[in-house]
Amino acid sequence: MQPEDDVKLLKAIAARDEAALAQLYDRYRVILFGLLMRILNNREEAEDVLQEVFLQVWRKAHDFDENRGRPFTWLVTLARSRGIDRLRTLAARERVAEASAREAVEEFSDAATDAFKSEQRGLVNKALAQLPDEQKRPLMLAYFDGLTQSEIATRLGAPLGTVKTRMRTGLMNLREQLAGKGESFGF
Amino acid sequence: MVHDDYKEMIPARALSALDAAEERALNEHLENCAECRKELEDWQATAAALSLASDPAEPSPKVRERILSEVRKDRASEVIPFTPTPRRNLWTSFGSLGAIAAVVLFAALSIGLAVLWRQNQGLKSADEFVQLVNTPGARVRELRGNDPGQSATAKLAYDRNGRAILMASKLPNVPQGKAYQLWFIVGDKPPVPGKTFVPDSAGNAVLNDEMPRDAVDADVYAITVEPASGSSAPTSPIYLRTF
Repeated sequence: MQPEDDVKLLKAIAARDEAALAQLYDRYRVILFGLLMRILNNREEAEDVLQEVFLQVWRKAHDFDENRGRPFTWLVTLARSRGIDRLRTLAARERVAEASAREAVEEFSDAATDAFKSEQRGLVNKALAQLPDEQKRPLMLAYFDGLTQSEIATRLGAPLGTVKTRMRTGLMNLREQLAGKGESFGF
Repeated sequence: MVHDDYKEMIPARALSALDAAEERALNEHLENCAECRKELEDWQATAAALSLASDPAEPSPKVRERILSEVRKDRASEVIPFTPTPRRNLWTSFGSLGAIAAVVLFAALSIGLAVLWRQNQGLKSADEFVQLVNTPGARVRELRGNDPGQSATAKLAYDRNGRAILMASKLPNVPQGKAYQLWFIVGDKPPVPGKTFVPDSAGNAVLNDEMPRDAVDADVYAITVEPASGSSAPTSPIYLRTF
């Protein structure tokens, strides 16, 4: 499936087509749930947020503007934002502290993913592997742990200005490495 | 700060890693700077690619069920809160409608029955409906919504003894714990409750009911959404009615 198919699905969802929502869910559940598991490290919370995300998609699909980005970016940004919000809520309740060991992740069928996602995942992991650790760590702490630059500076014991530079440079390097390697990234 | 200062902050904004004060300042700038908004969209696409660095994982099948169940409730509530046209309060102005005669339109009926036959695909129900219509003195009334965009319709056939069959199509699902309810309205008297019913997944419903003798040839037949156990007086706006 190509991004334009996702655009059609989102338009159908905006027109209150339940089947289109189910199709979009089937296509993205594995990626988004993987992302939410990585952020929340808790199956129950991740499933709850996944549900919230798709209900938001149902209610806000008309807000999606194909001129302003790809459906993939829109969905992932939505899911990540919800995931980080939940993480912060949980952290505030000190319920996440003990979640040090990752929960077992169920096997997922090959049919649940597809060549597009596997290929893109390979590209992203390869690009990240080529980033210096000092650039990669701020990116990962921001993206998956929801830390701000100041919090990252404290966590890493590095000056704030240095963290800002490394984060920006890291993301620029990532973009350069992915540029032209996958139209579906949207850049 | 100048434009270039804000532009430098955008990658961190795409990772939502700015401190609160910086984010507020950048957001204000974004409102007035199309170039920076475009820049943010580009960086968000790069940031979204990071999601693929996480291992894919399969959620429980229950999540899908819960989402679709919520969506159906949403759809029902989107359509059902139904406001009658402001010019007329349907529950208080039946006196003015009292003159509306129940007219049997046989030509329309034959077309309507063919449609119902297809829509309901329930030949037994359609047979019963036809038999009832063929009873001497029987009548058929059509129920529609006030909103011209509303696709749900129903036909009510009844005989002189009060035996009634309602066949409805394209009804939205009702929320859990709710059902549609038929009402018979005569003059200015309080509406007389009929039975409740829930449409199938395609929105079709067939209801066999017995109406009170004085409700035969009522001025108005109406359908509302009520608690599944039924109400003694309507608690929601009219969804479908005869005109």
